[in-house]
Amino acid sequence: MYTSVVRLQNVFGFFTTVAFVVAAFIAASDFVAERAPIVRTLKTTSVQVVRGRPHYYSSKKEEYAVINFSLDADLSSLFTWNTKQVFVYVTAEWPAADHSTTNATNEAVIWDSIITSPSADHLANHWSRRHEEAAQERGREDGKLVLKNQRHKYKITHPSGKLATTENVTLRLHYNVQPWVGLLTWNQDVDYGYWKALKNGVSKRFKLPAIKEKKPASAGSR
Amino acid sequence: MAEQLLDQIRDVAEGQIDFEGQKLVELLVNVTLALTAVVAFLVGYILQDIKLALQIGLAGTALTFVIAVPPWPFYNRNPVKWLQVGGGLVPPQNLIIDEKSFR
Repeated sequence: MYTSVVRLQNVFGFFTTVAFVVAAFIAASDFVAERAPIVRTLKTTSVQVVRGRPHYYSSKKEEYAVINFSLDADLSSLFTWNTKQVFVYVTAEWPAADHSTTNATNEAVIWDSIITSPSADHLANHWSRRHEEAAQERGREDGKLVLKNQRHKYKITHPSGKLATTENVTLRLHYNVQPWVGLLTWNQDVDYGYWKALKNGVSKRFKLPAIKEKKPASAGSR
Repeated sequence: MAEQLLDQIRDVAEGQIDFEGQKLVELLVNVTLALTAVVAFLVGYILQDIKLALQIGLAGTALTFVIAVPPWPFYNRNPVKWLQVGGGLVPPQNLIIDEKSFR
C-alpha cells in the first residue's frame, strides 16, 4: 500500500472478491424465494395431421401435426429481483412405438415464448415488446399467460415420418428461468424447499386424427 | 531546477504514504468495500431491484478508489524520521573494537 499503483491493484483485487461474494449471495437468494407456478388450463383447441415436405425440393413426404391450444397459466411467482427472463415452451409428448421395452418418449416443441422481467425491459426484442404492450393492456401482469386458441409456432413430425392416429399424446408446459446471476432452472416435477412443482402442467391425453385430405387444388385458382 | 520539477512529478505520480497511512488505508478499503457489499445486497433484496444493487455496489467501489488511491494528506501524518546523512552521530571517545582502541 506504499504507492498509488499498489493501492489501485489492492483495491481492485478486493473489489473482484467482494463482487463475486455479492453475486453468490444474490444467486443464493433465489432459493428462499417461493415459486408456485400454476397452470389453470392447458388444452388443445384443434388438432390436424397433414402431409408435407420438409423443404421445397424434398421428394420425401412426411406427416405433420398441427396443434393449436389454449393456455391459462400464472408464472408470476417465478419473477424475483434476480429473474432476467423466463422462457416458456409447450411440448407435445407421446410414447415411442417400443415404449413398453425402452420407456422412450417422443417430445417436440410446438410453441415457445420469452417473458422478460421488468429489470430486462431494455433487452426486450421485438416480439416481447409486443408482448409487453399486450401485458400493459391487461394491466401489466408479469408471467400471467392467457392464450386462447393459440396458433402453434412449430409443426412437428417424427423421424419415421408417421404421425397420424398416434395415441396418448399430451401437451406439457415447460419453463426455464434465466436469472441475472446464478443457475438456470427448469420446471420441476417434485417440490424442492420453497420451489413447488408446476401444478397441472400436462393436458389430457388425446389422439392425433387421421390425415386430413387436401381439397382438390384446381378449385378456385387458375 | 529541472531535476526538482521531475522529483515533484515523480512524488505526485508515485503517491507514497507513510507506514501508519498504509495501515489506515488498508482498514478503510476493507471496511468501505465490505459495507458497500452489505448495503448493496440488502437494499437490492428488500426493494427487489437488482439494478439498484449494482449501482450501489459500483458507486461504493468508485468511492473506495477515491479514498484509497490518491496520497491524501492524512496518510502522511507520521513520516519516518530518518537519521541525518553523514553526521550528527559522534562515536564515543572510548570505543574499543577487537581490543583496538579507536582514535
